[in-house]
Amino acid sequence: MVASGVYFFRSALEGLRRAPLLHLVSITAIAFALLLGGMARLASGAVDSLLLASRSQVELTLYLEPNVREDEAARIAQQLASLGTPARVVSPEAALRRLRLELGDLGKLLDDLPQNPLPPTIELELPGSMRGSAQLGELSKRAKALPGVAEVDDGGQAVAQLVRIGRALRFAAAAVFTVASLAAILIVAATLQLTIYARRQEIEIQKLVGATNYFVRAPFVIEGLIHGVIGASVASLGLASIARILAPRLASLASFVADPAATQALRSGRVIAELVAAGCLLGVLGSLAAVHRFLRT
Amino acid sequence: MSGPNLLQMGVRMIQLFHVSRVFPGDYAALSDVSFAVSRGEFVFLTGPSGAGKTTLLRLMICADRPTQGQILVDGCNVSHLTRSSIPALRRKIGVVFQDFKLLPRATVSENVALALQVAGIHGYERERRVRRVLGQVGLEHRAAALPPQLSGGEQQRAVVARALVPDPLVLLADEPTGNLDPAMTIQIMDLLCAANARGVTVLVATHDPLLLSRYRKRVLHLDRGHLVKDTEAVSAPLRAAQA
Repeated sequence: MVASGVYFFRSALEGLRRAPLLHLVSITAIAFALLLGGMARLASGAVDSLLLASRSQVELTLYLEPNVREDEAARIAQQLASLGTPARVVSPEAALRRLRLELGDLGKLLDDLPQNPLPPTIELELPGSMRGSAQLGELSKRAKALPGVAEVDDGGQAVAQLVRIGRALRFAAAAVFTVASLAAILIVAATLQLTIYARRQEIEIQKLVGATNYFVRAPFVIEGLIHGVIGASVASLGLASIARILAPRLASLASFVADPAATQALRSGRVIAELVAAGCLLGVLGSLAAVHRFLRT
Repeated sequence: MSGPNLLQMGVRMIQLFHVSRVFPGDYAALSDVSFAVSRGEFVFLTGPSGAGKTTLLRLMICADRPTQGQILVDGCNVSHLTRSSIPALRRKIGVVFQDFKLLPRATVSENVALALQVAGIHGYERERRVRRVLGQVGLEHRAAALPPQLSGGEQQRAVVARALVPDPLVLLADEPTGNLDPAMTIQIMDLLCAANARGVTVLVATHDPLLLSRYRKRVLHLDRGHLVKDTEAVSAPLRAAQA
């Protein structure tokens, strides 16, 4: 068995050596498909991690009427604390300072405002037992009924939007990967068919001396596997480059692109392992399609 | 006696029952051919070009299928073999092809070893058998040579070595001496006779009358796809007188 494996592997390497350009086409197709799939996978992973983070930090924000004084706000906060939720009053000045910090360089624009437009707010950090949608809804309702409370934001809309984006990204990732994979399989099959055709005399001789289809097929399947592994390596390098070069530049446009969780998966090797597995699958399917077609005729 | 054991004789190794092969355009390469070859027998298949010799050999190794009739090799009906069963049949049959069919990029040793490789024989056993058979055909010193570096006679001996290395039950040879000079022809024929002496059933397709008259073997005459004569083994002078 081991000796057969060595023979098949040597045959596969010999096949790669004979027509390097043809194999390069096949490897490029696999790398391209995996790169597209990997990028989509990282993007949806980033949205997922953002979603996870937002769910673990559920906060209820109460926007108070602009005329509510600080002592009144503190009283409302006390009332809320009695419900079992630690409450923190954020004055309009503190809210403006925070916004200035979040905006970074753009924060200077706030200096030109004639007056602070932000209302006083109360932020509630919810314990795990109160993060369920039913408890959250009940708490929002009771908070809104308090005098001086203008509006309540439980962050549900933002989370729902993120869920929608995540779902759409996952679907797009699957669609892109499926189409690119089918194209890669066809290209691998077509290129391997050319190499099989170039070696048809050798295959004919093997068959005439009693080779089984398995014996004929094995070196080409190994060639497909090698295509997959090399293609996956190229795609991994491409993804790593994109994560390193492009992500910081996109960070100002969309903060989640630079989210460390997106590139962490790449560094941990999980995405690379997935890419190698997918590459091997594409290579093997392409080679099996090519050999099957040849052996059938 | 130096020939095959007499006990083997009489057991049918190859049997053809009313075999026909008609190609598209109603060209009948073989028509209603029936004969039997016993285990350990040496038989010549002769006839002019286009008589159907090669077609007959191809049917026996399932490289082609008969339009009608049955072919039995070692009791196995090859006319009805499934694709997956064909390799096992071919491992029982050594074939010496007219056009050699050697892998041009593989050495003589690797070409010979291929017949063992496909049968799953590896390592020391494979090397031992390759060395032994290359010794039998006198090609030990050319084991590392590539086929294009060999003479016609050496290539033919390499093909014979590949056919013999898996210890086949049957050896089919299609014009094995077609392109060889008389001295090399005798060498190749001696190899086939030696294999037959070890008990291998040998069927040699040839249109060389000198070969038929030199070796006192049974001869099957084909003409335009029909088996027209089945001449039992006779002495050389008698065969010459019959001719």
